[in-house]
Amino acid sequence: MVLVLCIGDLHIPHRATDVPVKFKTLLVPGKIHHILCPGNLCTREVYDYLKTICTDMHITRGNFDEASAKYPEDEVMKIGNFRVGLCHGHQVTPWGSNEALALVQRKLDVDILISGHTHEFKAFKFEDRILINPGSATGAYSDVIEAPKPSFVLMDIDGSKATVYIYELIDDEVKVEKVEFTKDDL
Amino acid sequence: MEDHRIMTPQEEQVKWLQDASNSVKRNAFYMKRALDEDNLREALRYSAAMLVELRTSLLTPQKYFELYMQAFDELRHLEAFFKEEHSKGRSYADLYELVQHAGNVLPRLYLLCTVGSCFIRSKEAHAKDILKDLVEMCKGVQHPTRGLFLRSYLCQVSRGLLPDTGSEYEGDGGDINDALEFLLLNFTEMNKLWVRMQHQGSGKDRERRESERQQLADLVGKNLTYISQLEGLDFKRYQEVVQGRMMEQVVSCKDEIAQQYLMQCIIQGFPDEFHLGTLPTLLAALPELQSGVKVHLVLASLLDRLSRFAATDASVVDQFNSSDAFGQLLAAVTRVSEQHTEMPGADIAAMYIALANFVGAVYPDHVDYINRVLESCHEALAGHGDTKEDRTEKQIVALLTLPLNSYDPVTVLGLSTYPRVMSLLKPATCKAMAVKIVQTILKVGTEISEPAQVEMLLDFIAPLVADSPTNGEEDDDEDFEDEQGLVARLIHRLSAENPAHHYALLQTARERFSAGGARRLRHTLPPIAFAALGIVHRLAAAPNAEACEPSPKEVLQFVHQCAAQLAEAGDSAEMALQLFLTAAQSASGHACLEIIAYEFFEQAFILFEEAIPDSASERVALASITGALQRCRIFPPEPRATLVHKATGYSAKLLRKADQCRAVLACSHLYWQDAVDEEDVDHANNGEGEERSAGAEAENGASPLAENEEDGSGANPLQPPVQDGEHVMMCLKRALKIAHAAQQQLAVALRSSDTLPAWLFVEILNHYLYYYDQGLTSISASVLQNLLELVANEMAGENCQADAGLVAFYNNTLAHITAQKTKPEKASLYDVLQI
Repeated sequence: MVLVLCIGDLHIPHRATDVPVKFKTLLVPGKIHHILCPGNLCTREVYDYLKTICTDMHITRGNFDEASAKYPEDEVMKIGNFRVGLCHGHQVTPWGSNEALALVQRKLDVDILISGHTHEFKAFKFEDRILINPGSATGAYSDVIEAPKPSFVLMDIDGSKATVYIYELIDDEVKVEKVEFTKDDL
Repeated sequence: MEDHRIMTPQEEQVKWLQDASNSVKRNAFYMKRALDEDNLREALRYSAAMLVELRTSLLTPQKYFELYMQAFDELRHLEAFFKEEHSKGRSYADLYELVQHAGNVLPRLYLLCTVGSCFIRSKEAHAKDILKDLVEMCKGVQHPTRGLFLRSYLCQVSRGLLPDTGSEYEGDGGDINDALEFLLLNFTEMNKLWVRMQHQGSGKDRERRESERQQLADLVGKNLTYISQLEGLDFKRYQEVVQGRMMEQVVSCKDEIAQQYLMQCIIQGFPDEFHLGTLPTLLAALPELQSGVKVHLVLASLLDRLSRFAATDASVVDQFNSSDAFGQLLAAVTRVSEQHTEMPGADIAAMYIALANFVGAVYPDHVDYINRVLESCHEALAGHGDTKEDRTEKQIVALLTLPLNSYDPVTVLGLSTYPRVMSLLKPATCKAMAVKIVQTILKVGTEISEPAQVEMLLDFIAPLVADSPTNGEEDDDEDFEDEQGLVARLIHRLSAENPAHHYALLQTARERFSAGGARRLRHTLPPIAFAALGIVHRLAAAPNAEACEPSPKEVLQFVHQCAAQLAEAGDSAEMALQLFLTAAQSASGHACLEIIAYEFFEQAFILFEEAIPDSASERVALASITGALQRCRIFPPEPRATLVHKATGYSAKLLRKADQCRAVLACSHLYWQDAVDEEDVDHANNGEGEERSAGAEAENGASPLAENEEDGSGANPLQPPVQDGEHVMMCLKRALKIAHAAQQQLAVALRSSDTLPAWLFVEILNHYLYYYDQGLTSISASVLQNLLELVANEMAGENCQADAGLVAFYNNTLAHITAQKTKPEKASLYDVLQI
């Protein structure tokens, strides 16, 4: 069993003060095995904060991350029996298009693609692969959707089974949704 | 044979103790043998000889204590024998007389105490008489260490024998008053002995002597503990007798160590209600203490107790109020600082910290009390010499930080005395304090909603907002970044329900930040701009957006100024470009202002052309431009064509063919926007585009009533989605051309870092499939079939087959086609394709 935290588009300090306290209390050190962050952190301080939760971090470059951070444009890794891809998504035109993201999945040859940029969380099967967007952990102002709510995603990968928990902050209450996928269905 | 080696003081102590201890053992042995033989006279002789060892002046208190304990244990045998004698018919009065024959006063008194305790227990004598006798007679020993241990022995053996209320010795044996009198007298005498120790010996031994005195403190304190444990001690007796006697002794002994220790003893030893009830007396003693006493520690203990007391019961606070506890405390602190002008500034500040802590815990509604605390502190420290010392500054910072956490920080900062106390700090410390203020506001989450509050806050954190003439260039870069990061985060705490008010806050802030120079603007402008974009969104969502004050247009112009200023600030071109793009989408999507949106794109383009430093950043910037422009539906055909043409042209500017090819593919989407349901458009144009479904949700709002003014102040209508198959095809063909060119380039020289052109071909194939699926009529099945074959040929190459990633991409693409064939609604499109 591997716990993977997908969290991105924090946009601190440009668009938000901090990760919501209710999220911070959930994100305690020592539980998470990997962090996958599609990008837009945007500062070293945020990087340092994420590192306190888990030191195994994979980050790709968002359009507000500085070049000096040297994050790659995309990254692929194997977790359990899944191939997982990571990519911010500003370079996938049209933004947030499932068809365009599916193209990226074929290119990276991944079962699960984690992307960000739109600040709209999603986790579903599309064309036999899984698309996940953890949304913005701070509910930051978005070009694409109105009034985003803070959200992040936790994946529990157990061999060929992935259980995806979506945490969303609605009216200062944390709501959790659960979606399950198995590799055999893909 | 005597050891003539020169011994260290420690070795000496060990040896002296050893010698004395051996003598105690030896005499105890003879004493016990005499007891066995029932020879009382001999037993008393040897016990006296044993006790003579306690007359030593050589031992340190610690070693003396060991010896004392040894003798104490041996005396228990004697005590048991006394009881036995008594049961055989000998009266205690007799024994009490008999032991007085011992020649030396110290052994005599130890024996007397031992018999006396038995005497009381037998009830043959009144407890009060014996106790009084003993406590008086012990005055016979005036050597401090010996006297202290002797009286400690008296205290010890009479424990449980006092005529306390409810005790079996009450009644004829006396009452609580006698018990109190005994303990108070013993305490007074012991304290005198203890204080006298300070004045023995030469000045150079002072340090050693003081440490020895500290070791003996608990012997003295034990009396107070016993007093506090008396059943009969009620508040009335405490107030009328005990407190007065204790305080009198504490004050009059004029000894720092004793005062420090005993004040703590009293505060810790007696109940909260007693302290509250006798607060004036207790506080009156504080200024009377010697100047070396750490009054702030005493005060801190007292206030700590009182605030914990207040937390137990709401009625306690009423009691505090009815006796004006706060006023009394403040007056006492003020008096102490007035009378002890030589008191270190840090200690003065520490007293006020204790008080502020107490106020914060007990009076959550009385921020005015904090003001009074700060005012008094300022008065005490303003004329003080060592205010600028590190230790003092540290305490002042702590004092200023405290109320920020216990009250609303903005209210606290608004107190008239707050800046006065802060002005006592050195500039560098002011800066550290500024950081603390920001951190606290962020932690507490206070909202700053008045322009005056913004001004005030920025005054306080002025050292972070701009360079001051006094602080030099000692800034550490990383610290600087962290500080500015805090200030940037603070900007999101400026917020108001009313968009116009919120806008005013941002304007105020920006004006102040403009003085901070480029280094700071890099950090402070983006959050201001984003906050302003949030306002644009709120204004545009209002039913009558144009009539709003300010108008969305005005706020967008403000964002424009921020972005432009950022672009000039240097080193921030990418950020400025992204900001222009975000603003362009706000202008297009939320505010529906065509001219403004165009201007934003134009500025982004200028930055792209002039200021993007490296190729990786160029890719990010161009992708962002393409993505942003793709979504915009505000531009009529002509201006849109201009922008799209420019953006497409930029793809050729990229260095590598692979990047060019991908950029052109992305640009193809500029000619193809998602079809929009008519219903959705109507809905969006009602200005309520709040929902988050797919499609047109972001293209919010032109009011149907809005005039389409030339200067762009009115909202413009959205344009129908662009679906220009011809231009899409031109882009796709150009991508193919570039891929072919890359292939030729490859034939010349293959560098290991290069992408195989086949990657591009497969990517192009995927884009063809994308548009084919979207129903772009220019892509016929045969066009696609040709491309499929071209890619298949390409993939057959040896180096392609060696690239596992490429093979997977290709196979995934073919699998995608196969999967589409199985979908009933797609079958007609895909059935004709041969893989």
